[in-house]
Amino acid sequence: MTNQQLDPVTMPDAEEGPALKATPRKRMSKWSLYSRRFMRNKPAVAGVIIFILLVLFAIIAPFVAPYDHVELDFLNLGTPPGAEHWFGTTSAGNDTFAQVAIGLQRSLMIAVTVSVGTTAISAIIGTAAAYFGGWTERITLIIIHFMMVIPSFLILAMISNDSGGDWRVIAFIMIFVIGWYFPARVIWTMALSLREREYVHAARYMGVPGMRIVLRHLLPNIGSLLVINFTLGIVSAVMVETGLSFLGFGVKIPDVSLGSLIGSGANTITSAPWLFYFPAAALTLLTVSMALVADGLRDALDPTSAAGGRA
Amino acid sequence: MIRYLVRRFLGWLLMIVVATNVTFFLAWGYLDPRSNYVGRRPPLSPDQITQQLLPRNLSDTVPLAERWWNWITAIVLHWDWGVSPVGQVVNEQVAYRMWVSAELVLGATIISTVIGIALGVYTASRQYKLADRVGQATSIITMNINIVVAALGIVLLAIGLNDAVGARVFYVTGSSSQGVTGFFPVIIDALQHLVLPTVALVLIGYASTHFLQRSLLLDNIKADYVRTARAKGLTKSQAIRRHALRTSLIPVATQVAFTIPTVFTGAVLTETIFAWNGMGRYFIQTISTNDIHGTVAIAAFGAFLTAIGALLADVAVVVLDPRVRVS
Repeated sequence: MTNQQLDPVTMPDAEEGPALKATPRKRMSKWSLYSRRFMRNKPAVAGVIIFILLVLFAIIAPFVAPYDHVELDFLNLGTPPGAEHWFGTTSAGNDTFAQVAIGLQRSLMIAVTVSVGTTAISAIIGTAAAYFGGWTERITLIIIHFMMVIPSFLILAMISNDSGGDWRVIAFIMIFVIGWYFPARVIWTMALSLREREYVHAARYMGVPGMRIVLRHLLPNIGSLLVINFTLGIVSAVMVETGLSFLGFGVKIPDVSLGSLIGSGANTITSAPWLFYFPAAALTLLTVSMALVADGLRDALDPTSAAGGRA
Repeated sequence: MIRYLVRRFLGWLLMIVVATNVTFFLAWGYLDPRSNYVGRRPPLSPDQITQQLLPRNLSDTVPLAERWWNWITAIVLHWDWGVSPVGQVVNEQVAYRMWVSAELVLGATIISTVIGIALGVYTASRQYKLADRVGQATSIITMNINIVVAALGIVLLAIGLNDAVGARVFYVTGSSSQGVTGFFPVIIDALQHLVLPTVALVLIGYASTHFLQRSLLLDNIKADYVRTARAKGLTKSQAIRRHALRTSLIPVATQVAFTIPTVFTGAVLTETIFAWNGMGRYFIQTISTNDIHGTVAIAAFGAFLTAIGALLADVAVVVLDPRVRVS
């Protein structure tokens, strides 16, 4: 659903035209321009590769791991990494390799769900508030400011602790409590100038219903911002989820996430440091790679980017 | 100026009151003080539990509206934020924990702001040179390291250092040692405890200031008035410091003021890892012991910090920007 909204190519109303027609000799599709700009950014490409490797690891590793993540190996209690257990075992005999893979999977699923949700909600609320104006706008802004004052992490911890550690519930709450209002405000300020554009007026005078104008004329024009918000949203969702699970308010045993793994690894950080090293490495690679991708996307998609002329 | 600030402050006060009340009802929805008594040996009868909770205004036999009324009148009339299920006074807890957290948060905010601005100015005036590239790469990595990983990594390094030196240079738990007397020993002891958590918070916190300062300064360095300053004979660094930096500091000040609550959230995790008895640990303790009054007090404290940050941002803009005149 989100992809359709984000995809400016399927909405050829405003983007087409003069800029491309003016220079017919160097005609180049928008996507090849974007990808060429992105590929030139080496850290961003490295970020994509690391991220893909992590996703593959999260998907494939549970199948190749000789042990299940809940299975207890009583012959190996708290053994360091070795041939039998690639990432070592916990003091209860859990295989850390399988745990890290499942934990990474869980963290990724929460992060992607939350980021898709917050990006969609913030985009629709932000642009709708700007387009409809009046009371809709005023009330939306009051709610947004109110959400900024509310200590959202505390409320999230409270509700998620009560939910019993099901990751789907946690992801659902995170969408509404943590993520949507700050991007919604940024999008609102951007959409303020969009609503005065000629094509929006034209659509309105043609009698297009308000919500359709928001979805078909305003949203596609902030598409690049939404793509960047989505990548950054993954980083912040991972951060929040990890913090929550680390404190014990998030995903709960027998389910694991990177946060809860680091939390239990923290207790034995001097005696069994491998319980900390592997989930911490996975987490750091995940957040840093996504941040690099977001950075590259910003350079590639930003129309005012200095790199534009040379592509 | 004063009238403007007072008006803003009243607006924020209203927000804080509403946020605190919303948290009060949410806390009653999700926390249940009665469940603290489950599994007690010998088991308590429901009546006995009610007897324990009733004088603390925590019994769910009383209608919610009445509980709310008792709670809000105690705050308004006596500034009494209530007691926990075991009878700890919330006022006392917050009063001393606040300063433990402030010690950590204020120091970390100031240091990361100074480092961020300095790095931003340094890298912006050397755009696309080696120093700039290295600085950018380092900052993007440190900014996206999780605070938990950063703090635990620092703990590991510090333990390694302590072992290598053979003495306790840095303490990895607590905010002070017991039984230390004298002016200088107390300060040295406090520093030994303070350094590691502060480094953890600064490490992940400075980069956002760095990036913002760098990009703003780059916009201003090319402005006409900076070129004029150069043409008048100022050196490049003088022109940047006296003309470009002042304009570009305004949004940085705003951002720093607004990050105070964020730093506080980061301190929740840092305090847990370094076993500091500040507001952050209180946060975890209150939620896991179903301490409704404590939770609400923390929410009020957090909202208050946000308001202070927003007001500081307003003041900073007025002080730094001569074009802004509020009446």
